[in-house]
Amino acid sequence: MAELVMGSIVRKNWWYRLRAFINANLINLFAGGLFALLAVFLLYPIASVLVFSLWGDQGFTLDFYAEFFKYEFYYWSFLNTLILGLATMIILLVVGFCFAYLTTRGPLWIRKPLKMIALLPLAAPPYIFSISLITLFGKNGMINNLLHLNFNIYSWTGVIAAQVLAFLPLSYMMIENVLNAVNPSLEESASDMGASEFRIMRSITIPLAAPGLLKAALLVFVMTIAEFGNPAILGGRTPFLAPDTYLMITGEADFNMASVLSVVLIAPCILIFILHNFVLAGKGYTTIVGKPTATELRPIDPAIKLPFLIVCIPVTILVLLSFGVIVFGSFVKIVGVDNTFVIDHMLNTQSNLAIWNSFKVSLGAGLFGAVVGTLLAYVIMRGKFPGRHLMEMLALSGFALPGTVIGVGYIIAFNRPPFLLTGTIWIIILNCVFRFLAVGVEAGISKLHQISVEIEEASADLGADFLTVFFKVILPIMFSAFVAGFIYTFMTTMMSLSSVIFLVAPGFDLASVYIFLTAQLGELGVASATTVKVIAIVAVSMALLKVIAKKTGLDVQKQGV
Amino acid sequence: METSKPAMLELQGIHKSFGSVDVLKGISAQIAKGELLTFVGPSGCGKTTLLRIVGGFTSATSGRVILDGEDISNLPPNMRNTKMVFQSYALFPHMTVAKNVGFGLKLQKWPQKKIETRVEELLALVHLEGLGHRSIDRLSGGQQQRVALARALALEPKVLLLDEPLSNLDANLRVVMREEIRNIQERLQVTTIFVTHDQYEAMSISDRLLVLHQGVIQQIGSPVDIYERPANEFIAGFVGYVNFLEGQVDSVQNGCDSVWISTEFGRVELDHHQKDIAKGDNVLMVIRPETVTLSPWNGDESQNSFHGTVQSQMYAGNLAKYTVKFGQKEMVIDHYNPMGSRKYGKSEKVKVTIPRNVHVLKRKTD
Repeated sequence: MAELVMGSIVRKNWWYRLRAFINANLINLFAGGLFALLAVFLLYPIASVLVFSLWGDQGFTLDFYAEFFKYEFYYWSFLNTLILGLATMIILLVVGFCFAYLTTRGPLWIRKPLKMIALLPLAAPPYIFSISLITLFGKNGMINNLLHLNFNIYSWTGVIAAQVLAFLPLSYMMIENVLNAVNPSLEESASDMGASEFRIMRSITIPLAAPGLLKAALLVFVMTIAEFGNPAILGGRTPFLAPDTYLMITGEADFNMASVLSVVLIAPCILIFILHNFVLAGKGYTTIVGKPTATELRPIDPAIKLPFLIVCIPVTILVLLSFGVIVFGSFVKIVGVDNTFVIDHMLNTQSNLAIWNSFKVSLGAGLFGAVVGTLLAYVIMRGKFPGRHLMEMLALSGFALPGTVIGVGYIIAFNRPPFLLTGTIWIIILNCVFRFLAVGVEAGISKLHQISVEIEEASADLGADFLTVFFKVILPIMFSAFVAGFIYTFMTTMMSLSSVIFLVAPGFDLASVYIFLTAQLGELGVASATTVKVIAIVAVSMALLKVIAKKTGLDVQKQGV
Repeated sequence: METSKPAMLELQGIHKSFGSVDVLKGISAQIAKGELLTFVGPSGCGKTTLLRIVGGFTSATSGRVILDGEDISNLPPNMRNTKMVFQSYALFPHMTVAKNVGFGLKLQKWPQKKIETRVEELLALVHLEGLGHRSIDRLSGGQQQRVALARALALEPKVLLLDEPLSNLDANLRVVMREEIRNIQERLQVTTIFVTHDQYEAMSISDRLLVLHQGVIQQIGSPVDIYERPANEFIAGFVGYVNFLEGQVDSVQNGCDSVWISTEFGRVELDHHQKDIAKGDNVLMVIRPETVTLSPWNGDESQNSFHGTVQSQMYAGNLAKYTVKFGQKEMVIDHYNPMGSRKYGKSEKVKVTIPRNVHVLKRKTD
């Protein structure tokens, strides 16, 4: 072994000192770069929206806001949006609770199938329900024809129904978490003392779950008011904020008014964010109790079960029917009118081109998003510079902001130097990267929480410099978070509509935009066929995420909520 | 197996403050080649910080770390020839046992064949032969500890740093691993710093102990020094139980090497082996419970004896433990191997005799 005695590591020449300096400061360089990216691609567009709502040809002005409050069309679009959010929220609170109660406390045989139904809409973009509801209840809708109804789906009822179905998984997952965290032994001890099932639910389960239910409701509210597709397709003449913002840009090229509508749309979101994080923070009994202990199944009184089932059954039918008619509609000539089998819709060149475009964009956004997300997570967790919390908040904010707002921001911010990106594929990719960054960052952070800092110190101790530690130790350990971030960003980009619709260049269709446009024109066959393809891609992605969750315990779909 | 020549490590006036809190207040110490020195002290005493300064993970506010005559104070960990075994082991979860052990060698660009041979040797050294292909999460706590040790030894460090390496193991395994670490260390003659908060662990593994308290070295010395000749009250009370008895030096008789000390219970005559004790000094006698002898009370005065009453007694087989009260003062007395000898009951009057070789601490005169 004598010849293997290693050479002295301690070398004192300037090259080693320079290298030591670089190694010691690289994390700060990374941090600087990431701050710059966040500033340019998140802060700058959002600030632009704010500026444009206050800045006219003559400089600073409140005229645009005055206009908003002057015209019925504008302020009703705001009020309608709030009403839509409120109605959807209340219905989903009830429906989500029924589903969650039955899947956590109901008879065993019903739990799995009900849970699958409640989560099924995750596999499809939210606007699929507009298409399926038109297919079922439109002018030539299958059910309208079958039962000779004259039901108008382009109405409040239609929009609310589509929103309820689209956001069922969100509300279900949050309420299920809340109910799972209510310790069953509390309910059992109440039962032991002679309380009836109804009494238990009224005085134990619901009060304990109340803070969690409130949080769930608020989140559903924020997500539904930001939704673009359903109100745009089914809203008819009723104005809503998100679609009106789009019309303001495409129809009238009025960037100032579009900005005002965006700011108005953000306002309730920020209010609820504050409520959520500062007023409700730490409220709730459920988190303290922890994991439920597995207990014997407590039989539930049919008087409780039955009304819950009665709520769940029509929703279940609608969800299944929606997916059914989308598949059916892709393979028949004109759904509801001429039900002969055709393959034309599936083979439609434009549809396939749109899917291919979406695939490319999603791949780019996924890769870039995973890199930025992983780096951000690392820098946030291990950096020692001031402003780390600000950085984390910025990184997570893209997720909370309505897509239309970021879309408007991008189109204002990047159609002029120094960042001239309008019309390129890059603006779409960047937009999706920074909108969906949150999940990748969260995944990376939760992975890093599992890794002791000592591991990095140990590698340094064994002779690795920062770059070696980063590439040989950190990245391999964070790889699962990287892949999960990649797939998640890929998947959400594939489905996203609300912001990319502002950014696509004429002639360059993305799948979601193509579905939206064809659905608006009533070309349900192509719309359905394209949707089916998107669903297939999303389903594969979700399956891959499941595999990762099982292998590494990193469940980004849970974190997405 | 051989290691590079063991080193001499020197700490010179190391200060460390976090904000306004001074964690280390001027630590100077020398560690001899091949020695195992333990940093020991209650939690928060700064021992881990000091170790991290030696390893290069924390920089000292002032002071220097000298290794083999070279100032390494400003070198990052990867350029120091010190290697650390971390409290959490810090094994790479995405690598096998062999990859973990060979990680540093690979960074040194050793040829693959030689890495393999070396890793085999190291695994044999820590009794993990044949487990090279295991993944880390399929090892027990003790095995992970051995991998961490092998990994740190792979690069033949001049100084091996062990940060509370046994704290994650259960009681029985701690003893086994402690002996094993000591065996390997003695075999390789690698200079080692061991950090622990457990006094008995420190006593049983070390060549010397460096006892830290409130950021200051209280004493550096062999286990015998620490126990038999504690430098101050803190050290005396740090390992094992101790009875303190205050007194004043009456006279020093150099001719017959005796020192007379008067206490509130009478005069005692002790060996005069501490040259700094002089007439008139206020002193504190450090009386270990097992050095005191008990006998039945017979009324007569004899040298170094006090009369008291048994306050409580506990019999544990190998040991009979008594608390004896004199006036307002209590003294704990351990009678080892009490089999067949006289036992004393509660409230019984007894005579307590302290030995001549009691250690004496000089008290500062205020």
